[in-house]
Amino acid sequence: MANRTDPSAKSIRGTNPQNLVEKILRSKIYQNTYWKEQCFGLTAETLVDKAMELDHLGGTHGGNRKPTPFICLVMKMLQIQPDKEIVVEFIKNEDYKYVRVLGAFYLRLTGTDIDVYRYLEPLYNDYRKLRRKLGDGQYALTHVDEVIDELLTKDYSCDIALPRIKKRLTIEAIGALEPRKSALEDDFEEEEEKEEDDQLMDTDVGAHEKDYYRGQSPTRERGRDRKRDSHRHRERDHEREYERDYERDRGRGRDRDRERDRDRERHREKDYRERERDRRDRERGSRRRSPSRSRSRSRDRDRDRDRKDRDHDGEERRRRHARDNSSSPRRGAAEPPKKKKEKEKKKDDGTDHPDPEIAEANRIRASLGMKPLKL
Amino acid sequence: MIEVVLNDRLGKKVRVKCNDDDTIGDLKKLVAAQTGTRADKIRIEKWYNIYKDHITLKDYEIHDGMGLELYYN
Repeated sequence: MANRTDPSAKSIRGTNPQNLVEKILRSKIYQNTYWKEQCFGLTAETLVDKAMELDHLGGTHGGNRKPTPFICLVMKMLQIQPDKEIVVEFIKNEDYKYVRVLGAFYLRLTGTDIDVYRYLEPLYNDYRKLRRKLGDGQYALTHVDEVIDELLTKDYSCDIALPRIKKRLTIEAIGALEPRKSALEDDFEEEEEKEEDDQLMDTDVGAHEKDYYRGQSPTRERGRDRKRDSHRHRERDHEREYERDYERDRGRGRDRDRERDRDRERHREKDYRERERDRRDRERGSRRRSPSRSRSRSRDRDRDRDRKDRDHDGEERRRRHARDNSSSPRRGAAEPPKKKKEKEKKKDDGTDHPDPEIAEANRIRASLGMKPLKL
Repeated sequence: MIEVVLNDRLGKKVRVKCNDDDTIGDLKKLVAAQTGTRADKIRIEKWYNIYKDHITLKDYEIHDGMGLELYYN
Protein backbone atom coordinates (compact mmCIF):
# COMPACT_ATOMS: atom_id res chain seq x y z
CA MET A 1 0.00 0.00 0.00
CA ALA A 2 2.72 2.43 0.88
CA ASN A 3 4.49 1.56 -2.32
CA ARG A 4 1.73 2.37 -4.71
CA THR A 5 2.04 5.46 -6.82
CA ASP A 6 -0.31 8.35 -6.12
CA PRO A 7 -3.41 7.61 -8.20
CA SER A 8 -3.64 11.20 -9.38
CA ALA A 9 -0.06 11.10 -10.66
CA LYS A 10 0.51 11.32 -14.38
CA SER A 11 2.27 8.55 -16.22
CA ILE A 12 5.80 9.39 -17.21
CA ARG A 13 7.01 8.30 -20.61
CA GLY A 14 4.05 6.02 -20.96
CA THR A 15 4.46 4.09 -17.75
CA ASN A 16 4.00 4.23 -14.01
CA PRO A 17 6.59 6.76 -12.85
CA GLN A 18 8.07 4.31 -10.40
CA ASN A 19 8.92 2.00 -13.29
CA LEU A 20 11.66 4.41 -14.30
CA VAL A 21 13.66 2.61 -11.67
CA GLU A 22 14.13 -0.96 -12.69
CA LYS A 23 12.58 -3.89 -10.84
CA ILE A 24 15.52 -5.18 -8.85
CA LEU A 25 16.53 -1.77 -7.58
CA ARG A 26 12.92 -0.93 -6.83
CA SER A 27 12.50 -4.04 -4.65
CA LYS A 28 15.76 -3.22 -2.88
CA ILE A 29 14.48 0.26 -2.08
CA TYR A 30 11.13 -1.03 -0.78
CA GLN A 31 12.94 -3.39 1.58
CA ASN A 32 15.32 -0.71 2.82
CA THR A 33 14.86 0.53 6.41
CA TYR A 34 15.39 4.17 5.48
CA TRP A 35 12.51 3.88 3.06
CA LYS A 36 10.26 2.14 5.54
CA GLU A 37 10.97 4.43 8.45
CA GLN A 38 11.66 7.84 7.03
CA CYS A 39 9.90 7.87 3.72
CA PHE A 40 6.48 6.75 4.94
CA GLY A 41 3.77 9.30 4.29
CA LEU A 42 6.10 12.03 3.04
CA THR A 43 4.65 15.03 1.28
CA ALA A 44 6.43 17.59 -0.80
CA GLU A 45 7.15 19.82 2.22
CA THR A 46 8.39 17.11 4.54
CA LEU A 47 10.43 15.71 1.67
CA VAL A 48 12.35 18.98 1.58
CA ASP A 49 13.29 18.50 5.23
CA LYS A 50 14.54 15.01 4.53
CA ALA A 51 16.45 16.24 1.51
CA MET A 52 18.19 18.89 3.56
CA GLU A 53 19.57 16.15 5.78
CA LEU A 54 21.28 14.39 2.86
CA ASP A 55 25.04 14.37 2.97
CA HIS A 56 26.01 12.18 0.05
CA LEU A 57 24.68 10.98 -3.26
CA GLY A 58 25.03 7.63 -4.92
CA GLY A 59 23.25 4.53 -6.13
CA THR A 60 23.76 1.26 -4.38
CA HIS A 61 26.76 -0.09 -2.57
CA GLY A 62 28.06 -3.20 -0.95
CA GLY A 63 27.76 -6.86 -1.78
CA ASN A 64 23.99 -6.93 -1.46
CA ARG A 65 23.54 -3.52 -3.12
CA LYS A 66 22.09 -1.43 -0.33
CA PRO A 67 20.44 1.72 -1.67
CA THR A 68 21.47 5.17 -0.45
CA PRO A 69 19.04 7.66 1.11
CA PHE A 70 19.51 9.79 -1.99
CA ILE A 71 18.07 7.15 -4.24
CA CYS A 72 15.26 6.46 -1.77
CA LEU A 73 14.26 10.11 -1.91
CA VAL A 74 14.37 10.05 -5.71
CA MET A 75 12.00 7.10 -5.58
CA LYS A 76 9.75 8.98 -3.17
CA MET A 77 9.61 11.95 -5.49
CA LEU A 78 8.67 9.64 -8.33
CA GLN A 79 5.95 8.24 -6.15
CA ILE A 80 4.35 11.50 -5.03
CA GLN A 81 5.17 13.47 -8.20
CA PRO A 82 5.61 17.02 -6.96
CA ASP A 83 4.69 19.88 -9.29
CA LYS A 84 7.18 21.31 -11.69
CA GLU A 85 7.33 24.57 -9.73
CA ILE A 86 8.41 22.72 -6.63
CA VAL A 87 11.11 20.86 -8.53
CA VAL A 88 12.36 24.10 -10.06
CA GLU A 89 12.46 25.58 -6.56
CA PHE A 90 14.62 22.67 -5.49
CA ILE A 91 16.99 23.39 -8.33
CA LYS A 92 17.06 27.14 -7.86
CA ASN A 93 17.80 27.12 -4.16
CA GLU A 94 21.39 28.02 -3.42
CA ASP A 95 21.77 26.92 0.16
CA TYR A 96 21.50 23.18 0.05
CA LYS A 97 23.52 21.58 -2.70
CA TYR A 98 22.13 18.08 -2.21
CA VAL A 99 18.57 19.39 -2.53
CA ARG A 100 19.70 20.99 -5.78
CA VAL A 101 21.16 17.76 -7.10
CA LEU A 102 18.07 15.83 -6.01
CA GLY A 103 15.82 18.22 -7.92
CA ALA A 104 18.11 18.07 -10.94
CA PHE A 105 18.08 14.28 -10.93
CA TYR A 106 14.30 14.14 -10.70
CA LEU A 107 13.93 16.63 -13.50
CA ARG A 108 16.31 14.66 -15.66
CA LEU A 109 14.17 11.58 -15.14
CA THR A 110 10.79 13.16 -15.67
CA GLY A 111 11.15 16.45 -17.53
CA THR A 112 10.96 17.19 -21.24
CA ASP A 113 14.19 17.65 -23.18
CA ILE A 114 13.91 21.40 -23.36
CA ASP A 115 13.17 21.70 -19.67
CA VAL A 116 16.11 19.48 -18.84
CA TYR A 117 18.55 21.65 -20.76
CA ARG A 118 17.03 24.89 -19.63
CA TYR A 119 17.08 24.16 -15.93
CA LEU A 120 20.16 22.00 -15.63
CA GLU A 121 22.60 24.07 -17.63
CA PRO A 122 22.73 26.98 -15.18
CA LEU A 123 23.93 24.45 -12.64
CA TYR A 124 27.14 24.13 -14.61
CA ASN A 125 28.28 27.25 -12.79
CA ASP A 126 28.04 25.63 -9.39
CA TYR A 127 31.45 24.36 -8.36
CA ARG A 128 30.67 23.08 -4.93
CA LYS A 129 32.02 19.77 -3.73
CA LEU A 130 29.84 16.74 -3.27
CA ARG A 131 30.36 13.41 -1.63
CA ARG A 132 29.55 10.40 -3.73
CA LYS A 133 29.24 6.85 -2.45
CA LEU A 134 30.74 4.33 -4.84
CA GLY A 135 29.69 0.76 -5.44
CA ASP A 136 32.26 -0.69 -3.09
CA GLY A 137 31.17 1.50 -0.18
CA GLN A 138 33.93 4.09 -0.38
CA TYR A 139 33.33 7.78 -0.77
CA ALA A 140 34.63 9.80 -3.68
CA LEU A 141 34.87 13.53 -4.23
CA THR A 142 32.93 15.11 -7.05
CA HIS A 143 31.46 18.50 -7.88
CA VAL A 144 28.00 19.75 -8.74
CA ASP A 145 28.93 20.65 -12.30
CA GLU A 146 30.51 17.23 -12.81
CA VAL A 147 27.30 15.56 -11.69
CA ILE A 148 25.22 17.76 -13.99
CA ASP A 149 27.54 16.96 -16.86
CA GLU A 150 27.09 13.28 -16.17
CA LEU A 151 23.33 13.70 -16.15
CA LEU A 152 23.34 15.53 -19.45
CA THR A 153 25.85 13.44 -21.36
CA LYS A 154 25.79 9.90 -20.00
CA ASP A 155 22.85 7.54 -20.02
CA TYR A 156 23.41 5.88 -16.65
CA SER A 157 23.89 7.48 -13.28
CA CYS A 158 23.47 6.37 -9.67
CA ASP A 159 22.35 2.91 -10.76
CA ILE A 160 19.40 4.30 -12.70
CA ALA A 161 19.21 4.21 -16.47
CA LEU A 162 18.44 7.78 -17.50
CA PRO A 163 15.79 8.22 -20.18
CA ARG A 164 17.02 9.27 -23.60
CA ILE A 165 16.90 12.97 -24.36
CA LYS A 166 17.63 14.63 -27.68
CA LYS A 167 21.07 16.04 -28.20
CA ARG A 168 21.46 19.74 -27.77
CA LEU A 169 22.44 20.29 -31.39
CA THR A 170 19.19 18.71 -32.53
CA ILE A 171 17.13 20.97 -30.33
CA GLU A 172 19.06 24.00 -31.53
CA ALA A 173 18.49 22.95 -35.12
CA ILE A 174 14.78 22.83 -34.44
CA GLY A 175 15.10 26.26 -32.95
CA ALA A 176 13.57 25.49 -29.59
CA LEU A 177 16.69 26.52 -27.71
CA GLU A 178 19.33 29.14 -28.14
CA PRO A 179 22.92 28.02 -28.72
CA ARG A 180 24.61 27.61 -25.42
CA LYS A 181 26.28 30.62 -23.95
CA SER A 182 28.96 29.68 -21.47
CA ALA A 183 29.69 31.81 -18.46
CA LEU A 184 33.35 31.62 -19.37
CA GLU A 185 32.78 33.10 -22.80
CA ASP A 186 33.99 36.59 -21.90
CA ASP A 187 37.13 35.20 -20.32
CA PHE A 188 37.58 33.02 -23.37
CA GLU A 189 37.41 36.04 -25.67
CA GLU A 190 39.97 37.86 -23.59
CA GLU A 191 42.27 34.86 -23.78
CA GLU A 192 41.83 34.73 -27.53
CA GLU A 193 42.74 38.37 -27.93
CA LYS A 194 45.74 38.00 -25.71
CA GLU A 195 46.89 34.96 -27.67
CA GLU A 196 46.51 36.79 -30.95
CA ASP A 197 48.55 39.72 -29.70
CA ASP A 198 51.28 37.43 -28.46
CA GLN A 199 51.37 35.60 -31.71
CA LEU A 200 51.64 38.75 -33.76
CA MET A 201 54.74 39.59 -31.80
CA ASP A 202 56.30 36.19 -32.49
CA THR A 203 56.66 34.46 -35.82
CA ASP A 204 53.52 34.67 -37.91
CA VAL A 205 54.06 31.44 -39.75
CA GLY A 206 53.88 28.86 -37.05
CA ALA A 207 51.36 30.65 -34.90
CA HIS A 208 48.07 30.13 -36.59
CA GLU A 209 48.81 26.56 -37.47
CA LYS A 210 49.51 25.92 -33.84
CA ASP A 211 46.22 27.36 -32.65
CA TYR A 212 44.10 25.45 -35.04
CA TYR A 213 40.86 26.08 -33.29
CA ARG A 214 41.50 29.67 -32.36
CA GLY A 215 42.85 30.70 -35.70
CA GLN A 216 41.78 33.08 -38.40
CA SER A 217 38.68 31.13 -39.35
CA PRO A 218 35.52 32.75 -40.70
CA THR A 219 33.31 34.23 -38.04
CA ARG A 220 30.57 31.63 -38.25
CA GLU A 221 33.04 28.81 -37.87
CA ARG A 222 34.70 30.65 -35.07
CA GLY A 223 31.34 31.03 -33.37
CA ARG A 224 30.70 27.36 -33.73
CA ASP A 225 34.20 26.49 -32.59
CA ARG A 226 33.91 28.79 -29.67
CA LYS A 227 30.62 27.28 -28.68
CA ARG A 228 31.96 23.79 -29.04
CA ASP A 229 35.13 24.64 -27.24
CA SER A 230 33.45 26.64 -24.53
CA HIS A 231 31.34 23.55 -23.92
CA ARG A 232 34.47 21.46 -23.88
CA HIS A 233 36.28 23.89 -21.67
CA ARG A 234 33.43 23.85 -19.21
CA GLU A 235 33.64 20.13 -19.06
CA ARG A 236 37.33 20.07 -18.30
CA ASP A 237 39.09 21.89 -15.58
CA HIS A 238 39.49 25.62 -15.93
CA GLU A 239 42.97 25.32 -14.52
CA ARG A 240 44.03 23.07 -17.30
CA GLU A 241 43.22 25.81 -19.83
CA TYR A 242 45.48 28.27 -18.07
CA GLU A 243 48.10 25.65 -17.39
CA ARG A 244 48.28 24.76 -21.03
CA ASP A 245 48.75 28.38 -22.05
CA TYR A 246 51.33 28.91 -19.37
CA GLU A 247 53.21 25.80 -20.40
CA ARG A 248 53.10 26.72 -24.03
CA ASP A 249 54.45 30.18 -23.32
CA ARG A 250 57.05 28.80 -21.02
CA GLY A 251 57.99 26.13 -23.55
CA ARG A 252 58.47 28.71 -26.26
CA GLY A 253 60.66 30.78 -24.01
CA ARG A 254 62.56 27.74 -22.96
CA ASP A 255 63.18 26.73 -26.53
CA ARG A 256 64.54 30.15 -27.22
CA ASP A 257 66.72 30.00 -24.12
CA ARG A 258 67.94 26.57 -25.05
CA GLU A 259 68.83 27.76 -28.52
CA ARG A 260 70.65 30.73 -27.10
CA ASP A 261 72.47 28.57 -24.57
CA ARG A 262 73.44 26.09 -27.20
CA ASP A 263 74.83 28.81 -29.40
CA ARG A 264 76.72 30.24 -26.50
CA GLU A 265 78.08 26.79 -25.68
CA ARG A 266 79.09 26.19 -29.20
CA HIS A 267 80.87 29.50 -29.44
CA ARG A 268 82.59 28.84 -26.19
CA GLU A 269 83.49 25.35 -27.33
CA LYS A 270 84.77 26.58 -30.61
CA ASP A 271 86.92 29.18 -28.93
CA TYR A 272 88.20 26.64 -26.45
CA ARG A 273 88.91 24.16 -29.17
CA GLU A 274 90.69 26.75 -31.26
CA ARG A 275 92.68 27.91 -28.30
CA GLU A 276 93.72 24.35 -27.54
CA ARG A 277 94.63 23.72 -31.10
CA ASP A 278 96.60 26.92 -31.22
CA ARG A 279 98.50 25.96 -28.15
CA ARG A 280 99.18 22.48 -29.47
CA ASP A 281 100.23 23.73 -32.87
CA ARG A 282 102.41 26.32 -31.38
CA GLU A 283 104.18 23.64 -29.44
CA ARG A 284 104.51 21.34 -32.40
CA GLY A 285 105.57 24.00 -34.79
CA SER A 286 104.11 26.55 -37.02
CA ARG A 287 104.42 24.42 -40.13
CA ARG A 288 101.35 22.38 -39.38
CA ARG A 289 99.36 25.24 -38.10
CA SER A 290 98.27 27.15 -41.12
CA PRO A 291 96.92 24.48 -43.50
CA SER A 292 95.28 22.37 -40.82
CA ARG A 293 93.97 25.28 -38.89
CA SER A 294 92.65 27.14 -41.83
CA ARG A 295 91.04 24.00 -43.19
CA SER A 296 89.63 22.95 -39.87
CA ARG A 297 88.52 26.45 -39.10
CA SER A 298 86.75 26.84 -42.38
CA ARG A 299 85.28 23.40 -41.99
CA ASP A 300 84.20 24.20 -38.48
CA ARG A 301 82.75 27.46 -39.58
CA ASP A 302 80.87 25.83 -42.40
CA ARG A 303 79.69 23.09 -40.13
CA ASP A 304 78.62 25.58 -37.53
CA ARG A 305 76.83 27.66 -40.06
CA ASP A 306 75.09 24.62 -41.49
CA ARG A 307 74.19 23.45 -38.05
CA LYS A 308 72.92 26.87 -37.14
CA ASP A 309 70.79 27.01 -40.26
CA ARG A 310 69.55 23.51 -39.66
CA ASP A 311 68.73 24.32 -36.10
CA HIS A 312 66.95 27.45 -37.12
CA ASP A 313 64.80 25.40 -39.46
CA GLY A 314 64.31 22.87 -36.75
CA GLU A 315 63.25 25.62 -34.40
CA GLU A 316 60.73 26.84 -36.96
CA ARG A 317 59.43 23.36 -37.42
CA ARG A 318 59.40 22.83 -33.73
CA ARG A 319 57.37 25.97 -33.21
CA ARG A 320 54.98 24.91 -35.88
CA HIS A 321 54.44 21.50 -34.35
CA ALA A 322 54.79 22.67 -30.79
CA ARG A 323 51.75 20.65 -29.84
CA ASP A 324 53.33 17.42 -31.04
CA ASN A 325 56.39 17.94 -28.85
CA SER A 326 58.68 16.29 -31.35
CA SER A 327 61.62 17.77 -33.21
CA SER A 328 63.15 16.36 -36.35
CA PRO A 329 66.46 14.92 -35.06
CA ARG A 330 64.70 13.31 -32.14
CA ARG A 331 61.91 11.88 -34.26
CA GLY A 332 64.29 9.97 -36.47
CA ALA A 333 65.89 8.30 -33.50
CA ALA A 334 62.61 7.42 -31.82
CA GLU A 335 61.03 5.64 -34.77
CA PRO A 336 63.03 2.37 -34.92
CA PRO A 337 62.58 1.54 -31.21
CA LYS A 338 58.90 2.42 -31.43
CA LYS A 339 58.42 0.02 -34.33
CA LYS A 340 60.13 -2.74 -32.38
CA LYS A 341 57.94 -2.06 -29.37
CA GLU A 342 54.78 -2.25 -31.49
CA LYS A 343 55.83 -5.57 -32.96
CA GLU A 344 56.48 -6.95 -29.51
CA LYS A 345 53.20 -5.56 -28.25
CA LYS A 346 51.29 -7.48 -30.92
CA LYS A 347 52.76 -10.71 -29.68
CA ASP A 348 52.01 -9.80 -26.07
CA ASP A 349 48.34 -9.24 -26.76
CA GLY A 350 47.85 -12.80 -27.86
CA THR A 351 45.24 -11.79 -30.35
CA ASP A 352 47.08 -13.61 -33.10
CA HIS A 353 46.85 -17.00 -31.45
CA PRO A 354 46.17 -19.88 -33.86
CA ASP A 355 43.16 -21.11 -31.87
CA PRO A 356 40.30 -18.77 -32.84
CA GLU A 357 38.50 -19.10 -29.50
CA ILE A 358 41.54 -18.05 -27.56
CA ALA A 359 42.28 -15.26 -29.99
CA GLU A 360 38.72 -14.01 -29.60
CA ALA A 361 38.93 -14.19 -25.82
CA ASN A 362 42.19 -12.29 -25.90
CA ARG A 363 40.67 -9.65 -28.10
CA ILE A 364 37.88 -9.09 -25.61
CA ARG A 365 40.37 -8.95 -22.78
CA ALA A 366 42.51 -6.45 -24.59
CA SER A 367 39.51 -4.22 -25.23
CA LEU A 368 38.68 -4.33 -21.52
CA GLY A 369 42.25 -3.51 -20.61
CA MET A 370 43.20 -6.88 -19.15
CA LYS A 371 46.27 -8.97 -19.77
CA PRO A 372 45.96 -11.88 -22.20
CA LEU A 373 45.22 -15.43 -21.16
CA LYS A 374 48.01 -17.46 -19.69
CA LEU A 375 48.06 -20.75 -21.54
CA MET B 1 43.91 -20.51 -18.09
CA ILE B 2 40.76 -21.83 -16.55
CA GLU B 3 37.24 -22.01 -17.86
CA VAL B 4 34.40 -21.14 -15.54
CA VAL B 5 30.71 -21.80 -16.09
CA LEU B 6 28.18 -19.28 -14.87
CA ASN B 7 24.53 -20.22 -14.74
CA ASP B 8 21.64 -18.02 -13.73
CA ARG B 9 19.05 -20.82 -13.82
CA LEU B 10 16.78 -18.73 -16.00
CA GLY B 11 18.28 -19.74 -19.31
CA LYS B 12 21.60 -17.92 -19.35
CA LYS B 13 24.58 -20.24 -19.17
CA VAL B 14 27.93 -18.73 -19.97
CA ARG B 15 31.37 -20.30 -20.30
CA VAL B 16 34.17 -17.85 -19.72
CA LYS B 17 37.91 -18.39 -20.20
CA CYS B 18 40.05 -16.49 -17.74
CA ASN B 19 43.28 -16.58 -15.79
CA ASP B 20 43.31 -17.76 -12.24
CA ASP B 21 44.88 -14.50 -11.10
CA ASP B 22 42.02 -12.44 -12.52
CA THR B 23 39.81 -10.78 -9.95
CA ILE B 24 36.08 -11.32 -9.66
CA GLY B 25 35.62 -7.81 -11.02
CA ASP B 26 37.49 -8.80 -14.19
CA LEU B 27 35.38 -11.93 -14.46
CA LYS B 28 32.25 -9.81 -14.21
CA LYS B 29 33.50 -7.62 -17.04
CA LEU B 30 34.09 -10.69 -19.21
CA VAL B 31 30.64 -12.04 -18.42
CA ALA B 32 29.13 -8.63 -19.20
CA ALA B 33 30.89 -8.63 -22.55
CA GLN B 34 29.39 -12.01 -23.33
CA THR B 35 25.88 -11.61 -22.00
CA GLY B 36 25.21 -7.93 -22.61
CA THR B 37 24.25 -6.93 -19.07
CA ARG B 38 26.25 -4.25 -17.34
CA ALA B 39 29.17 -5.45 -15.27
CA ASP B 40 28.01 -3.68 -12.12
CA LYS B 41 24.59 -5.35 -12.35
CA ILE B 42 26.07 -8.83 -12.10
CA ARG B 43 26.46 -10.67 -8.85
CA ILE B 44 28.41 -13.90 -8.65
CA GLU B 45 27.56 -16.18 -5.76
CA LYS B 46 28.16 -19.65 -4.56
CA TRP B 47 25.47 -20.79 -2.13
CA TYR B 48 24.87 -17.49 -0.30
CA ASN B 49 28.55 -16.42 -0.44
CA ILE B 50 28.60 -13.29 -2.50
CA TYR B 51 31.97 -13.11 -4.20
CA LYS B 52 33.75 -9.81 -3.73
CA ASP B 53 35.16 -7.84 -6.61
CA HIS B 54 38.73 -7.35 -5.49
CA ILE B 55 39.65 -10.95 -4.69
CA THR B 56 41.24 -13.21 -7.27
CA LEU B 57 39.78 -16.49 -8.50
CA LYS B 58 42.79 -18.32 -7.18
CA ASP B 59 42.12 -17.04 -3.67
CA TYR B 60 38.51 -18.16 -3.91
CA GLU B 61 39.86 -21.58 -5.07
CA ILE B 62 37.84 -21.49 -8.25
CA HIS B 63 39.19 -24.24 -10.48
CA ASP B 64 38.77 -25.17 -14.08
CA GLY B 65 35.24 -26.21 -14.99
CA MET B 66 33.69 -25.00 -11.76
CA GLY B 67 30.14 -23.68 -11.85
CA LEU B 68 29.16 -20.38 -10.29
CA GLU B 69 25.75 -18.86 -9.74
CA LEU B 70 24.88 -15.77 -11.67
CA TYR B 71 22.52 -13.28 -10.10
CA TYR B 72 21.61 -9.71 -10.84
CA ASN B 73 21.71 -6.66 -8.66
